[in-house]
Amino acid sequence: MTTMQRTELLQVFARTATEVAEKEFANVLETTSISELGIDSLGMLEIIGSLERELKIHIPDESLAGVLTVKDLLNAVESRQSA
Amino acid sequence: MMDPKYVAPTLAEAVRQLARLGDAADRGFVFVRPDGTERFVPWSELCERAEHRAADLHARGLKKGDRLAIVVPEPDEFVLSFLGAVMGGIVPVPIYPQLSFKNVESYHDTVTHIANASGASMILTTATTKPYLEPVLPRAASLLGLVTVDELAGDHGTVDVTVDPEDLAFLQFTSGSTSRPKGVVVTHRNLAWNSESFMIHGLKKDSSFDKGVSWLPLFHDMGLIGFVIGPLFTNIPVVFMPTASFVRNPRIWLDKIHQHRGTITYAPNFAYALVSKRVKEKDVASLDLSCLRRTGCGAEPIQAKTLREFAEKLAPAKFDPRSFLPSYGMAEATLAITFVPADSGVRSDTVEKAGLEQGAARPAEGEAPTQDLVNCGHAFPEHEIAIVDEQGNRLADRQVGQIITRGPSVSQGYYLERELSAEAFKAGPGGHTWLYTGDLGYLVAGEVFICGRLKDMIIVRGRNFYPSDLEWAVSELPGVRRGNVVAFSSDVDGDEQLIIAAEGMSAEAEALRAAIAQRIVADFALTPHEVLVVPQGTLPRTSSGKPQRRKTRQMYLDGTLARARSVQGTAGQAEDAGAGA
Repeated sequence: MTTMQRTELLQVFARTATEVAEKEFANVLETTSISELGIDSLGMLEIIGSLERELKIHIPDESLAGVLTVKDLLNAVESRQSA
Repeated sequence: MMDPKYVAPTLAEAVRQLARLGDAADRGFVFVRPDGTERFVPWSELCERAEHRAADLHARGLKKGDRLAIVVPEPDEFVLSFLGAVMGGIVPVPIYPQLSFKNVESYHDTVTHIANASGASMILTTATTKPYLEPVLPRAASLLGLVTVDELAGDHGTVDVTVDPEDLAFLQFTSGSTSRPKGVVVTHRNLAWNSESFMIHGLKKDSSFDKGVSWLPLFHDMGLIGFVIGPLFTNIPVVFMPTASFVRNPRIWLDKIHQHRGTITYAPNFAYALVSKRVKEKDVASLDLSCLRRTGCGAEPIQAKTLREFAEKLAPAKFDPRSFLPSYGMAEATLAITFVPADSGVRSDTVEKAGLEQGAARPAEGEAPTQDLVNCGHAFPEHEIAIVDEQGNRLADRQVGQIITRGPSVSQGYYLERELSAEAFKAGPGGHTWLYTGDLGYLVAGEVFICGRLKDMIIVRGRNFYPSDLEWAVSELPGVRRGNVVAFSSDVDGDEQLIIAAEGMSAEAEALRAAIAQRIVADFALTPHEVLVVPQGTLPRTSSGKPQRRKTRQMYLDGTLARARSVQGTAGQAEDAGAGA
């Protein structure tokens, strides 16, 4: 994975989050914690579902266990893309 | 007390009866895994595997009546483990698994409390969830050990344990809207009666063709009793899928109904909204949902508008809105209390807002502001429902008061909680013992309409407001999600005043505060005393995602909410006490 792809991934995440939560996430950073996004765990699962469909991957529940920041989540996504 | 007419007297006997029916190709449970593959477990195999688990648990030293905490996320393993305990006369105590994006400390506290309150001697879990439970072991004195489902795989034959109708079948821990979960005592007789009530009298099941489809969590009453226990008592096959699979992709619920020709399904209001919002028109067109004849709705306030939108969205898939089945129930009544008659669909009562604020649900006339309430139906045979005032006297039709119920489905109380039990299960009309539900509502010709929780009711200058109505109005604002808003009251200089707390980002806090205040004024002619915008995860919720209003009020009074607001913007500082899927 190159840096460019990682930036794109963050954009895909921001766009998906905007669709689900119906508000802007233009300033979201990798260091942003999930709890700061204003999205509950149900909403996060919805976002993950959208990412799965868009990127045609499956993210197993186990790999979500320790996810606390956007970076953690993108790592989980990335590990499935290269898998 | 007598046994029900049409079902076995105990769950253990019901499972053994099914196993004796012989193996027809589709008689059993289908478990859809997260990757989409399916595992079919016919009745005979279900019984055999459960009997083996019962023997294994006895070989590990558990005896009839001992409590076994079960924390198993996979539906197939959960069902086999739960039934294993039941067949061996052991009392399962289902506990929800640790959720993603949540802090693990509050989870440990909850599990420790439930283990102590139930006196559980063992935790049954899986290899993946084990690390989340090991820290609890030293904190609960009764716990002797932890075992995983893989370790139960051995064949220990069967054990001969007699299970009687009055035996404790399981403990149903319910958090309601308080912070400390209580264990509702559920006997086999309660299960048999309630299963007969909602499967036969409510759903009018037909074992020759009915099939359930459910993604409801199995550690909650609606998923466990509604789709595992009720169907086992009445020989109805069910297709289960993981809750997370539905939330990630709501379409899978409809796909499975279509594919398996499901006839019975059930969900809380929010799930119908999620489908309307997420499922695409082109996907609906490829589905045929004409098979669905019972589409139940319960567990949280039912909004006629949500169900209408769902029906419109699914009309191209031949969804029949008459299949909607609004209902009312709670863990203390085992599960179901009232159902509308089959095929009657959603029927609303339009009442005057002003009258409702004074405790009288008058049918609307003229131009005055109105409110729609959904008819939740009537009590089952051998059961009774009534509305009473604060002194416990029966109220007339259309008078709002506390809903009470009695009958053979109703639990005897909370496990080892004498005082809490005496508050909720006590004498009422006719000298009988009634369950005081704590819900406010009114009756019209025996059919009930639910207004809200008694203890949460907000009274401002003599007008009664139900927090769920206020929260619903606010949650329709852009950028606000269901469950992220809590309405409660507080004493301000001797007057009860409305406070609204909503979760949001600091950058938008000012605009959100103004929008919320405006919405409340516009819809209820009521000015909130204070609107607080706090970071995500600050507001306390139950494991099913319902806001804990009294706990929120406590956090407001002790300054926790104000502090949460002041640290906003500092990532990771706010305690994440939320819940959800």
